[in-house]
Amino acid sequence: MNESTEELAALYVLDQLEAAERAAFEARLLREPALATLVQQFETGLEHGVRALPRRDVPAGACDRIEQRLDAISAGTLARIERRLDALHAGPGPAGAATPRVPWMAWARWGIAAVIAVSLATLAVQSVRRPASAPSIVVVGLDQDQNHFADLPVRSIAPDPDARFIQLASLAQKFWEHPSALPLKPEPDAAGSTGYALFDPGSRQGFIAVDHLPVVAATQRYHLWLRDPATNRILNAGVLPLGEMNRGLFSFALGSDDSPLSDRPELFVTVEDRTLEPAPAQPHGKVVLGRERF
Amino acid sequence: MAAMAAGDRPAFRQLYARYSAALFSLALQLLGDTGAAEEALQDAFVKIWLHAGDYDARKARPFTWAVTILRRTCIDQLRRRRRQPEAVPLPPDEFAPREFSQPESARRSADVQEAAELLRAGLASFAPHQRAALELALFSTLTHSEIAAHLSQPVGTIKSWIRRGLQELRLNHDTPPP
Repeated sequence: MNESTEELAALYVLDQLEAAERAAFEARLLREPALATLVQQFETGLEHGVRALPRRDVPAGACDRIEQRLDAISAGTLARIERRLDALHAGPGPAGAATPRVPWMAWARWGIAAVIAVSLATLAVQSVRRPASAPSIVVVGLDQDQNHFADLPVRSIAPDPDARFIQLASLAQKFWEHPSALPLKPEPDAAGSTGYALFDPGSRQGFIAVDHLPVVAATQRYHLWLRDPATNRILNAGVLPLGEMNRGLFSFALGSDDSPLSDRPELFVTVEDRTLEPAPAQPHGKVVLGRERF
Repeated sequence: MAAMAAGDRPAFRQLYARYSAALFSLALQLLGDTGAAEEALQDAFVKIWLHAGDYDARKARPFTWAVTILRRTCIDQLRRRRRQPEAVPLPPDEFAPREFSQPESARRSADVQEAAELLRAGLASFAPHQRAALELALFSTLTHSEIAAHLSQPVGTIKSWIRRGLQELRLNHDTPPP
């Protein structure tokens, strides 16, 4: 590696390159492993240098203040999303005024994960006061003896599945961060496993949050199932990609099907053999979350 | 970073716990004021949270990425104050500090001196002016061209000193950073 390249690498690590130089250097970085190694060495030097600074205590409460700002940003994001949802719900605007539908959706998916805020807590409280006709998302507690349900009224339900996904993601993220805001309290089973889901029967998609699932062998994996009590059908809702963790928040969607679903679907998680191909269309393994018998 | 991009607040807190002290120290070094440093730290962590999805591990380590965000935040803050970039005073040494005309508080001078002492341990073999170039690159908001002007040296020389300084810093530490 010549000295000129090494100097570029040092300046890159110190953020001393102009934008064009930086872009060009990053392009090289992606295709030259030796350069990447050199950059990593300089990064080690940078980190040693910064950490050699005299240690100063961060002012008390700084982290809380940052998180308050994040919450406020999330609240603003929700407000923007809800305004968009309202606009979509109201239909297209005047002729010639194209509805700017895509850009916010593009980043929103999981990227919006920072979402909602204080309004949600009040929303949950208000649920008992809303008229029955208000649009709602179903919250399902995957308890051992039976599923429990609560309706979560929302100001509007978007007609578009993508918008609904975002709406669900927003709510799911908020409840993941603040489970005390849930309109129901999931009960842990004997093994301490808990779970709840947010489900939109209209778009047949939802989010499930699980915690303290039992450890399974490398040859097994968790499957999520939905039983429609109206027809007794059991539908495959997909695999929960927990990896080595025993908790997580995941989206799920049922396959396209014209048949309507009950607004009180029962959800449960089983452990299935991951070597089975194709994946089982019906549950065979042990139920580890949700009602054990139907 | 991936967890943060997915909105995982505990992952954010973990990153904050690991980096906040070092980043705050750097912000204090760059801005010279506790209030301003905390403001910059807050701004930087908010940016880290919002842009975690943009992080690319192939281009930088998380710490380097965070330092870059913080440094740019500090520079923005200084610009907002409509002040000229401020040079870090050098410790009393063979290198004459005449290039630095900004008055500094006694405390800040002491901080920088302490930093220089620590750096010196890792750069024992360095000539003072070379060390000064690295200190300015690490602990000030000056560009390398501005450093060259301050030290009355060609830009190429400054680049070379910075490169060698970073190499020395790495080689003179046997253990990885905490």
